[in-house]
Amino acid sequence: MFSLSEEGVAFVKRELNRYEDRRSAVIPALYRVQKENKGWVSPESVTYLSHLMDIPSAWIEEVLTFYTMFNKRPVGKYHVQVCCNISCSMNGGREMADHLCSTLKLKEDEVSGDGRYTISRVECLGACDKAPMMQVNDDYHEGLTNDKAVEILRGLK
Amino acid sequence: MPKCTINGKAIEVKPGTTVIQAFKAAGVEIAHYCWHPGLSVAGVCRLCMVQIEGQAKLQIGCNTLVTEGMVVNNTSEPVKEAVKWGLDFHLINHPLDCPICDQAGECGLQDQYVHFGKYDPEMAMPKQKKHKVVDLGPTIVLDTERCILCSRCVRFTDEVSKTNELGIFNRGDRSEIGTVENKPLDNNYSLNTVDICPVGALTSKDFRFRQRVWYLKEAASVCTGCSTGCNVNVYYNEEGAWRVKPVQNEKVNGYWMCDKGRDIYKFVNKEARLQTAKVGSKDQWRLLEGGQAAKDVGDSLRQVAKTEGADKIALVVTGQYTNEEYDSLLDFFNGTLAVKNVYHWVNNPEDMTGFDGILFRGDRNPNTAGLKARLEKRGLKSDWLDLEKKIKAGAYKYVVVAGPENNSVFPDLESKAKMMSAAPHLVWLTAAKSEAVDSATTATYQIPLKTFIEKDGTYTNHVGLEQKVKRGTTIVAGALTLSEAVSLMSGEELDFSLRPKPLTNLKTNFFTAKRGEL
Ligand code: SF4
Ligand code: SF4
Ligand code: FES
Ligand code: FES
Repeated sequence: MFSLSEEGVAFVKRELNRYEDRRSAVIPALYRVQKENKGWVSPESVTYLSHLMDIPSAWIEEVLTFYTMFNKRPVGKYHVQVCCNISCSMNGGREMADHLCSTLKLKEDEVSGDGRYTISRVECLGACDKAPMMQVNDDYHEGLTNDKAVEILRGLK
Repeated sequence: MPKCTINGKAIEVKPGTTVIQAFKAAGVEIAHYCWHPGLSVAGVCRLCMVQIEGQAKLQIGCNTLVTEGMVVNNTSEPVKEAVKWGLDFHLINHPLDCPICDQAGECGLQDQYVHFGKYDPEMAMPKQKKHKVVDLGPTIVLDTERCILCSRCVRFTDEVSKTNELGIFNRGDRSEIGTVENKPLDNNYSLNTVDICPVGALTSKDFRFRQRVWYLKEAASVCTGCSTGCNVNVYYNEEGAWRVKPVQNEKVNGYWMCDKGRDIYKFVNKEARLQTAKVGSKDQWRLLEGGQAAKDVGDSLRQVAKTEGADKIALVVTGQYTNEEYDSLLDFFNGTLAVKNVYHWVNNPEDMTGFDGILFRGDRNPNTAGLKARLEKRGLKSDWLDLEKKIKAGAYKYVVVAGPENNSVFPDLESKAKMMSAAPHLVWLTAAKSEAVDSATTATYQIPLKTFIEKDGTYTNHVGLEQKVKRGTTIVAGALTLSEAVSLMSGEELDFSLRPKPLTNLKTNFFTAKRGEL
């Protein structure tokens, strides 16, 4: 059964107090859950949040399914989000995503056998001037080539 | 009070009135999907476009307040053009499957397309495929491709039933209505979402594919499912009744009704009915006309009252009849025959005062209040235990019962029928056929009565509000109203030229007992 850490619970309660409408706290709460739940939001954590925040789970699920930055399925230890929007695509972003998948031998959005990686394609991450780019967990890596990207991923602890 | 002009028509409205409400008040048509008078404003369908003089852009009528001197129209070319395009966008991913859609004939998309159709859509992209035939719960099937995401159903479960099951999940053209982890949408008000869904996305399991709506007629009536007395329309054709939908009445039910109430069309149909009078007892019944049976019973009752005394007769009444029927029943029994032993049969004593906080009440009779008032006025207050005791002691020769027309809300029917059939003679007046009475072991008359949809009358609801019902159709032509039965008992003749003609082509309406068995 999923539950947030003590600090996590305190965080959600603080967020709830910040807004007039309890619904407004859903996004920060989901982020917190994702962080404490190995990078994804499970169905049972939605139920948990609905009790904690005292709002219907449908309202949480609506937000969760709307935003792509919440993962609805388990991800690897390193969630690699490769930008495939215009600037990055023009500079080889799509090919880079394919290259990473074939080098690491996994399919998009799946967890690699060793549990280390998940590769996803995403839309513009706002670093167009340094295209192509990828985001690994919370860090941006910009101005990449295929080899550089592989090197970075291999080098992760 | 702001004055405004709607399509050239000057009207005055209350402060805080929205433009769409002003259109309704002025009796002017305005296209809309997401706005519903019983729900909050969402402003998402963009169909209620209006042009307001002095404003450069078109506005949505549902989320714009009327201000003093506002001049509004929805007939100008820009408005028509906007609605046309709005409608075209709604249809981008719609499967256009009207011929197999149960909403056809009462569908918002069809209705508006007649007025605003582009008839030459310009969408070249393939349609988004979404979930179809989703089993949403015990009462409803969902087709998300037909949904226009107006969010009425979501707001209903948030604001009215307060059950919060539904939501809009995912984003953009992949957005879909659904429940969290496909949990069933299962509450006693779920079918209201089918009513307010402007398209064929939500359809009722009980009704879908059974009739085309344009073949049905509707009769305004009052729900007899409980003592709230929601205002309803009963939809029927020559085969019987098929569905019940709520009608707005701010004093009683707002725009809604409960799912249990929607079952009341089932017991009026032929399969559930006592179609002719029967005399005899268990396994040995002789059939005869209802009127003849009432006359025979009346002769014996009057005889008994004269020779052995009215104390030999007991009258048992349920809360299922109209005030007019109670009056004639009590006039004859209490007035003419001087019977004092009149018993109120309370079907489920534990929760008679129950209330779910929305509409539904534990008293599953339409007219308990009317009956109680009439018994009180005549000072009749016999205790039920007294009936049991006296029957056991053999004090009664005749027990006359104005029984339930809706057997399913009388969980105690079998035991009570058994208890009463210990009297030497039982007279059972009822619309419903019932095994419990068919297996009575004493000398019994069963006399067929009419149901609420087949008679005129008045019900008094739980707060004492009197509501009239009118005859909509006749399903069992040989049945009598309770008043007719009583006047035959008292020796009067009926004017049969006034009796309704039987329905022709009466086939078995075999779906009526099968809700949810898709
Ligand atoms: S299912 Fe019907 S009521 Fe619900 S959002 Fe879709 S169109 Fe509107
Ligand atoms: S609340 Fe009572 S009167 Fe209203 S629909 Fe339900 S059963 Fe009928
Ligand atoms: S297009 Fe890739 S960061 Fe903007
Ligand atoms: S009715 Fe106004 S936007 Fe839908």
